Amino acid sequence: MFQNGEKIIFSGPVGAGKTSAIAAISDEPPVRTDVATSGNEAAIKDTTTVAMDYSYIQLEDGKRVHLYGTPGQERFNFMWRILSRGGLGLVLLINNDHPDPLGQLDYYLDAFADFINETGVVVGITRMGVEDKASIADYQQRLFDRGQIFPVFEVDGRSSEDVRILVNALLAVLEN
Amino acid sequence: MTIVSEIIEMASGEAGQQGGAVSEAARQELEGLLVLMLSDCDDISGGVISASDGHAIAERLQSGLDKHRFAAMSSALLALSDNVARETHDGGVKNVLIQSDSGNVLILHAGNQRLLTVFCRANANLGMSLSHASKCAAEIAELNLNMDT
Repeated sequence: MFQNGEKIIFSGPVGAGKTSAIAAISDEPPVRTDVATSGNEAAIKDTTTVAMDYSYIQLEDGKRVHLYGTPGQERFNFMWRILSRGGLGLVLLINNDHPDPLGQLDYYLDAFADFINETGVVVGITRMGVEDKASIADYQQRLFDRGQIFPVFEVDGRSSEDVRILVNALLAVLEN
Repeated sequence: MTIVSEIIEMASGEAGQQGGAVSEAARQELEGLLVLMLSDCDDISGGVISASDGHAIAERLQSGLDKHRFAAMSSALLALSDNVARETHDGGVKNVLIQSDSGNVLILHAGNQRLLTVFCRANANLGMSLSHASKCAAEIAELNLNMDT
């Protein structure tokens, strides 16, 4: 279906677990560009990704899939475009303890609309059970209201198994 | 509104990009260092001081340039460059040099928490620009040290 050396993009809001997710499924330690946070952002996180995370996984058939994680903040949206170029599809992570996770879903689906139209997306909801602001059904309803049908999974971004489910789901979506 | 929601609002909007954790007095002092660099070196046309995580703190820029975008792009470039240097020579980055058709841009660490982006005029002398930029970065680092203690 795709050539050796394709890439998948991980994106989503600050604190959704993009860096952790890539680290969880990587065969080798990822390239990371996290630096100390400043100002208000320092209150929720010690470090944040400013350029990208990069790593790869080897599929069972021996093919290599490159994984690129974007920074979450809008001020780094130039990296979203740079990293998406030539990508196979998007893994969108949304943290469910965000005050408005459905708004964040809208925001990132809109920001990546062109890329998603050309490729595909799966949505992983992280941090469920911490301070839930929405249910999986709410996310599905929001997608339905947008006229979009994408797979939505509840995942632990630190779990290799969970992140692999997302990646495999994306690859399955892209096959269709 | 919780702290978390404020931050997410800030992260996803253009509001609240007024650079992290720096008092107005400190910001003015940092801006003063940029003014000094510009007056000392005709080859340099502008500069931005940012936090390592890409928040603009102080700037002297020709109009039309967006300090927020340059702060974020500089932080991304410098972080990636640090990785390249670490993985090739296990060393640190002194500076990143972008040589474009219409002038050079330099990005330097200015202590642990700050970075300096310097815009050079077309046909500027690279050595001269780099020397003044390095001096300014050292002054920023020293100022930060004094602020911390």
